[in-house]
Amino acid sequence: MKWISLVPVLAVGGLLLFAAKDFPEWGDPQSPASSSPVSSHFINNTGVDTEVPNMVTAVLADYRGFDTMFETVVVFIAGVAVIAILKGSGRRRGGLRKDHEVEAEPDLIVTNTVRLVVPVIQIFAFYVLAHGHVSPGGGFQGGVVMGASFILLALAWDLDHALVRMSLPKCIIIAAAGIILYGGIGFLSMLLGGEFLDYAELEKVLPVSREMARYHAMLGVEIGVGFTVTSIMFALYANLSSEGRLKGGL
Amino acid sequence: MIEESQIPWVLASSSTTAVEATSTGFFPLQWLGVLLGLAGLIFFLGAAVGMVRFPDFYTRMHAAGKGDTLSTMLMLSGFALVTMEDFSVGSWLILVKIMAVVLFIYLTTPTSSHALMRAAFEDDEMPLTEADLEKSKKRKRRKKK
Amino acid sequence: MTHWFAIVMGASLFTLMIPVIYRIWVGPTGFDRILGVNVIGTKTAVLLVIIGTVFDRVEMFVDFAIAYALLNFVAAIVISRYLNRTISLKEMEAREQKTSGN
Repeated sequence: MKWISLVPVLAVGGLLLFAAKDFPEWGDPQSPASSSPVSSHFINNTGVDTEVPNMVTAVLADYRGFDTMFETVVVFIAGVAVIAILKGSGRRRGGLRKDHEVEAEPDLIVTNTVRLVVPVIQIFAFYVLAHGHVSPGGGFQGGVVMGASFILLALAWDLDHALVRMSLPKCIIIAAAGIILYGGIGFLSMLLGGEFLDYAELEKVLPVSREMARYHAMLGVEIGVGFTVTSIMFALYANLSSEGRLKGGL
Repeated sequence: MIEESQIPWVLASSSTTAVEATSTGFFPLQWLGVLLGLAGLIFFLGAAVGMVRFPDFYTRMHAAGKGDTLSTMLMLSGFALVTMEDFSVGSWLILVKIMAVVLFIYLTTPTSSHALMRAAFEDDEMPLTEADLEKSKKRKRRKKK
Repeated sequence: MTHWFAIVMGASLFTLMIPVIYRIWVGPTGFDRILGVNVIGTKTAVLLVIIGTVFDRVEMFVDFAIAYALLNFVAAIVISRYLNRTISLKEMEAREQKTSGN
């Protein structure tokens, strides 16, 4: 019976491969996606308006900054919801450990490698975050890599070891701080006479031109996103792996 | 409508000039890179054959762990040399970045092999002993008869 | 020339991945499958560099390769630590059969 499902899978896969033949050439300027007036506007103007070479970052953090702000809020709400549901549920069910879990010592080789690798990962996370202006990357990606480093700590030793460095209240505070940083930059540009998230107005407080003000404000916004994603990633892992007990766990 | 010249940073590869400039053959350093890449392929062939042919999990782990790490490192350093067409700052940056990947893989792949091996050992996954080999030989002989 | 070298390397890498995929498919124990996935994950970092060479954007794809190698390491540690901290796979299967049999 299981094998019957292979037939539609293969049929759909073959259909998609057949359709992939009609895709436009990679980076073709005549393709429908790049010849629409919206994308030609962005392609022509991002470099002039914001001096950011990576159009994706400029569109994400500047032209549709309002959307990205609420994407960050969605991440925050997801984390808070998981914490609210799971917190205390383990205590009610009783017992520190489920019946299929056993005691395990931290492994010497794994812990030593993790000790070497985690600083490198964190520096790479900062690189991804800050280099998002010229290459793929940005707040979400950098935040995920940063969160992975904390998860690696929790895996190599145990959850308590990582929670000493990044406790759950600290996670929520940092996540909220990220959103406040994002919204704060938006409100600051409002106070300076522009519209919400109109970064160009920040030239009045920054010693740079209007274009570079947008460039630097985008970096600030990305840092805010990075804060939120990092701490929510770790909070999700800590809660889901130990079912809200924040002890033992994976 | 956009002219191709207006978007210099998106279309670096789709223009044919870049391809023609690189298709003039290899420099000696690039030949070294090609050799390293082929050596990596040979080691990966060893790892792949070992993963299929070896009898139990620990021997397969032996083939995969060693062959995989070395072949990945060799192939990546081969590509680091092959992409050094001109000795510009950009190509040096690529070399350093690829060497960072090589160092990272040198550290992490043996560690993950070790962690997986330990997990298997503590899960009572028994290695094949001589007695098991004798048994399987006898079974084969019986089949032949 | 560089492009042709990259394409040939990528094609042979794919061909050599077939035995590993066989091991993932057949693998008598779960550990064999995890090992195969781990090997393919490491090779994907190489494949990303190869794709970068083909597209002439190595400086961009190398970042992906680093991120991929990193996440592959995290995945391997996750699985091995999980198996370390739980009872053995055989026992888990036995318990599952017992509960489903009742």
